[in-house]
Amino acid sequence: MAMIEVRGLTKRFGEVLAVDQLSFEVDRGTVVGFLGPNGAGKTTTLRALLGLVRPSDGAATFGGKAYAELAEPLRHVGAVLEASSFYPGRSARNHLRVQATAAGIDPARVEAVLDLVGLQGAARRQVGGFSLGMRQRLGIAAAMLGDPEVLILDEPANGLDPEGVRWLRGLVRGLAEEGRTVLVSSHILAEVAQTVDSVVIIDKGRLVVQSTLRELTAGANLEDVFFQLTAASSDKEGS
Amino acid sequence: MTRAVRTELLKLRTIRLPLGLLGTAAGLTALITTLGAARAGGSGHMAPPPLYTAAGQQDLFIRTTFGMLLAAVFGVTVASGEFRHGTATATYLATPNRTRVLIAKAVVAAGAGLLFGLVAAALTTGITLSFVAAKGYHVALAGGTIARFAAGAILGSGLLAAAGAGVGSLLRGQLSAIITVFVWGLVLEPLVGGLFDAVQPYLPVTTATTMAGSALGGGVSPLPFAVAAALVAGVAVLLAVVAGWTRVPNDVS
Repeated sequence: MAMIEVRGLTKRFGEVLAVDQLSFEVDRGTVVGFLGPNGAGKTTTLRALLGLVRPSDGAATFGGKAYAELAEPLRHVGAVLEASSFYPGRSARNHLRVQATAAGIDPARVEAVLDLVGLQGAARRQVGGFSLGMRQRLGIAAAMLGDPEVLILDEPANGLDPEGVRWLRGLVRGLAEEGRTVLVSSHILAEVAQTVDSVVIIDKGRLVVQSTLRELTAGANLEDVFFQLTAASSDKEGS
Repeated sequence: MTRAVRTELLKLRTIRLPLGLLGTAAGLTALITTLGAARAGGSGHMAPPPLYTAAGQQDLFIRTTFGMLLAAVFGVTVASGEFRHGTATATYLATPNRTRVLIAKAVVAAGAGLLFGLVAAALTTGITLSFVAAKGYHVALAGGTIARFAAGAILGSGLLAAAGAGVGSLLRGQLSAIITVFVWGLVLEPLVGGLFDAVQPYLPVTTATTMAGSALGGGVSPLPFAVAAALVAGVAVLLAVVAGWTRVPNDVS
């Protein structure tokens, strides 16, 4: 069974069809890039997967179970969704303590993940004073609290400086080597090309292609292939 | 549920807003009680009765209303703060059972709301007794009566805070929810109660203040203490149930 399964997922926000009959699978222990232009429905899909938005139709599951059905979900799935989801007056350490308490995770993990993301020195500072890159690192720390086997990362490189991007690449590769499953959405195609095993490309809420990176690019540049595919998708839509 | 309650308590202990609101409630209560005590027996129709009378002392003992109202505002922030700062995403990722989160917030708001009433009651009682003693008067109210006013302020604050959590879950927009609480408590209820004397005992904020000793206009009798408490508790539960059915399951984006 696939670790992540999205089957016929559809989400409407009023008149807007954000995700349209989207289906794809992510196998255990793979790193998959989730790509698409702005407004393609990537974030909505990831939020549906995590039970934050209710699908209008279809389903998105982890090992056959909806996120809400997972016992101790943070121990199975870690997610980085947006860098602004922090109470600005709370310290980084206390943010993680709150998450650990809510998930029944050993408080010792708080210090471990602060070390992992390099925020130990800023742990007592209020998050409101953090740069975007520091918030991203804190988000990754929160996602890693439960030492999950699956990671959902929505634009995790946003706000990271070049050193941070390199650090993130190493982290994701390390997670893959440990056999974890990672679904990562990103606009930075060159970065994705260095990190993932396969890609899922969507446009206007629909699947354009799911393929291994090697088969998709066949030696070509991922960026060129991406633009060819999404342009073809738009042309098909228009005709 | 225990874990959800512990989490909500930790959230409150790791930010300054609750202490800020409690400090504001304490400051306002001390100010209006001290001003009332200083003006007691003075000229003008707004001046409290003389401090040597039971009416004059009761007027000061029951100046806990702002503390109770700020307890409701505190309850609003417990719930709506999650949406103002976008932390609802992290909360629901850790605890996907949103009903459990809602109940934990109402329980914690009620528990912490008791503190608002306790501080307000301690201040009005301490300030009133200090003025009475300083002027060489005797305490004109029975100890049991003073204790009942304090108990009413404490319990009423806890219940209003729980109701505030329901309002915050329903409206989500923190500013609009806080304005709603103030407009409801300071404008709508007095207006409706002024127009229709008979409904006064059934208006939730007014009812909570009668638990703390406030009298109703037009010679209307307040509800018995236990019935008043049950009514305010019922409103809090109703708000939470409506929020749980209508707003809490909504998409978090």
